[in-house]
Amino acid sequence: MIEGLVALGAMLVLCFLRLPIAFAMAVTGVVGYAYMRDWNWTVAFAAVQTNVYETGRNYTLSVVPLFLLMGIFVARAGIAEQLFRAAYAFIGHLRGGLAMATVIACAGFGSICGSSIATAATMAKVAYPSMKRFGYSDQLSAGAIAAGGTLGIMIPPSTLMVIYGVFTETNIGKMFAAGLLPGILGAILLCGAVQWACWRDPKAGPRGERVSWRERWVSLAGIWPVALLFLFVIGGIYGGMFTATEGAGMGAFGAMVFALWRRALSWKTLYQSLVDSGRTTAMLFLILIGALIFADFINITSMPSDLKAFVQRFEVNPVLVVAAIMLIYIVLGTAMEELSMVLLTLPVFFPLIVSLGFDPVWYGVLVVTIVEIGLISPPVGMNLFVLSTLLPQVQTTTVFRGVLPFIGADIVRLALLILFPSIALWLPSLMR
Amino acid sequence: MAEKSGGLAGRERAPEVLTEGAHVPGTRWERRADAALGVAASAILFCMMTLTFVDVVLRYVFNRPLRGGFEVTELLLLVLIFAGLPLVTHANEHVTMDLIDRWLGSRGSALLSRVMELASAALMFGLTWLMWLRAARVAGYGDTTDVLRIVVAPFVYFMVAMILLSGLIHLWRAFTAYPR
Repeated sequence: MIEGLVALGAMLVLCFLRLPIAFAMAVTGVVGYAYMRDWNWTVAFAAVQTNVYETGRNYTLSVVPLFLLMGIFVARAGIAEQLFRAAYAFIGHLRGGLAMATVIACAGFGSICGSSIATAATMAKVAYPSMKRFGYSDQLSAGAIAAGGTLGIMIPPSTLMVIYGVFTETNIGKMFAAGLLPGILGAILLCGAVQWACWRDPKAGPRGERVSWRERWVSLAGIWPVALLFLFVIGGIYGGMFTATEGAGMGAFGAMVFALWRRALSWKTLYQSLVDSGRTTAMLFLILIGALIFADFINITSMPSDLKAFVQRFEVNPVLVVAAIMLIYIVLGTAMEELSMVLLTLPVFFPLIVSLGFDPVWYGVLVVTIVEIGLISPPVGMNLFVLSTLLPQVQTTTVFRGVLPFIGADIVRLALLILFPSIALWLPSLMR
Repeated sequence: MAEKSGGLAGRERAPEVLTEGAHVPGTRWERRADAALGVAASAILFCMMTLTFVDVVLRYVFNRPLRGGFEVTELLLLVLIFAGLPLVTHANEHVTMDLIDRWLGSRGSALLSRVMELASAALMFGLTWLMWLRAARVAGYGDTTDVLRIVVAPFVYFMVAMILLSGLIHLWRAFTAYPR
């Protein structure tokens, strides 16, 4: 137990000194491993070699660059604008309608993009100018974009779910299926948060113009490529037509054809899309490898079993255990980078969760929710950082204040998911 | 940039928006190396995508899957990641926590950055040595993939070379990338 805690502390100190997080995890993992084996460096080094090599060659993980690529192609094709226009046509005339349209467009974009940051960044460009024009407060606009963007990792496809699936050996197709309803629930609750913000400050979200039914149907027709890609890729994975990797490859290819058809890809932008995806992949894999090395060490300490014994001794209600873990994550998530936070803690928490009889798929959905909250928690939520970079005219403190109601909505969703696991587990239970 | 300190540097980058005017700093020599690796990475990813597509189409339409397609995908992934590594290192896109910059002055921060670049370089050189040993072992056994019998060793040596290159970049950055 002690050695695990010491290693965690040492790792955090290294991170705090601005050593790249991946390196900090790897180096504490190696030293810890050697220590646990009476300073036998040979076995510790062997663990490093295997992790670096095997992770690089993991067939399942090739989903990551391919789904990233699909999202980037679709973003380039300008589909976000059409999604926003369609959502606006239906609900723009309501109070706070543009902010709700932003959330719904984010959800739609999330159904073909697996990254929260890409979703938020794409939507910021499309939705912010419209909201500005209609006199929305910066606080509400920024909050809605930042929070809506996080739906990108809940609604399938999702890079985070792939990484969770590989890390815990959970079926990725089931993870994707499990994310759909919580994602929709999330969008509804975020719309509720918009209403709450408008109720608090009636000037924050004025009504837009009412759009005729004819135009509504026309705008809806503009989003067919999204619907088609989603049904094809996610439907194909869900229906067992192809594996997640194959689905990702098909999706990326389809998105490229679509972008070419819209004349949105030149040689230069095609090259940039590919390189963007490749670099992001390299970055994510480095964190994953670091975390795997660290996990190898944690797995040979007594920490996971000590925690299990501790919980069993006090006969704590299992749901309370989950709630306590979530509370720890919410606090950690305000200060830590979310992916490393999750990967770092999974070796400790995951065995406990499984031993309490919970479904790994359900726990995965909770983890994704917690990451969504972390991404918009001040001061170091990544989505907030992206927004203040993209919208330099909006003050960081305004962004911070703006997301608060949305964090509230996400916490409500987390509670609902804990109390009613079937929200996540119903769809995967129908899969063969 | 509104407030850089207290954020997270690096991490996933947003498409298009954040990459406008790709920020490749440095000498012509550096730009060339970046371009070469970028072309390699993008070509590999393109192949990966096309390969998967062709594989699925052949299987469903012609009922003839590509033999050993997944092996090729695995090796392509390996090359993609490790070709990307020096690019990430060079652009300083590793995920770090930069909370500490709030308390350090600009000189202290630059000094810390140098030290951390040196530490990263040392770690990368250590990893180079480890993976070199692994590569030598793979080469010694003459490991091949199961179906297509592709010889694996060159791919592992490529990995070693890219890790070494990343270490050199860290070293180079320690001496050139920060104001004195």
